Amino acid sequence: MIRGAADMLPLSLAVLPFGVLFGSLAIQKGFTWLEGQLFSVIIFSGAVQLVTVELVAENTPFVALLFMALVVSSRHFLYGLRLRDRLSTQSVRWRIGLGFLMTDELFAFSNHRRSYASKYRLYYALGAGGSFYVAWNIWTAMGIFAVVALPDLSNLGLDFAVAAVFIALVIPEVKTVPTLVCVLASATSSLLFLFYGFELGLIASAGIGMLCGYGMQRVRS
Amino acid sequence: MTRYLFLEEKLPLRLGPNISQLLSFSGPAVLTAIFIPILFFNNNSIDISISNAYLWGGVGAIAAAYKTKNVYWTIACGGILFIGVGIYF
Repeated sequence: MIRGAADMLPLSLAVLPFGVLFGSLAIQKGFTWLEGQLFSVIIFSGAVQLVTVELVAENTPFVALLFMALVVSSRHFLYGLRLRDRLSTQSVRWRIGLGFLMTDELFAFSNHRRSYASKYRLYYALGAGGSFYVAWNIWTAMGIFAVVALPDLSNLGLDFAVAAVFIALVIPEVKTVPTLVCVLASATSSLLFLFYGFELGLIASAGIGMLCGYGMQRVRS
Repeated sequence: MTRYLFLEEKLPLRLGPNISQLLSFSGPAVLTAIFIPILFFNNNSIDISISNAYLWGGVGAIAAAYKTKNVYWTIACGGILFIGVGIYF
């Protein structure tokens, strides 16, 4: 289990900016420190957390929130399907435990042919996933603390930090034409919706982006 | 939440290859739809003037992300331009 935690360490550290950013953003948007921390404790998904915090602060209808969370989490659904066969023989406790701890990072570790095949490997996964969970919550707490303790410093450009972080996540992933089309479509439609003041513009733009990217990929194959 | 729902083997759900393909675009689409307004929309109106620090920061971040693919450089370059332009105007 310690091996798992040790191997996960570089990734646990890599998400420090995201965790700290989330913590401080939540406070700035008006959540209490407990609510902010609970986000990380219960949801444990950076993308979902960041998106949800922004949307709730803007009073998005609950159904829209749910839909967004589902869309953003959809790749986890794909992970679930991938790993289903390997874990199906384990007890419910393991499945739910590891299911909860599943993130992009843990999934990257799971691709080895014999992952989850033995008790040793299950504990390895637990160590890797669990330590990541703890680290994520520590970074969130740090972000919360930083904002609560130094309110003036943190108001400067926190929303810019979110934009920068998202840019850092999106741009490197634009490796194919369909992805580029998707991003451009999403960007253009979100600007149009902003101009016309359409409240559900965010979700609609995301949907349009997805359809355009998908359409492009279909047309080319 | 969606994660362990589908690890449960009793669920007879199989995702068609088409839907998975569509969903694979969800990440870039959603994140872009969020950060674009942050860059362009300030004080309840679209702002494309040269004094928009967010826009400059965004340009810097995109350039850094494109060249280095590194989170820290992206935040740094974007941040420097953002703060710089902010101070200048």
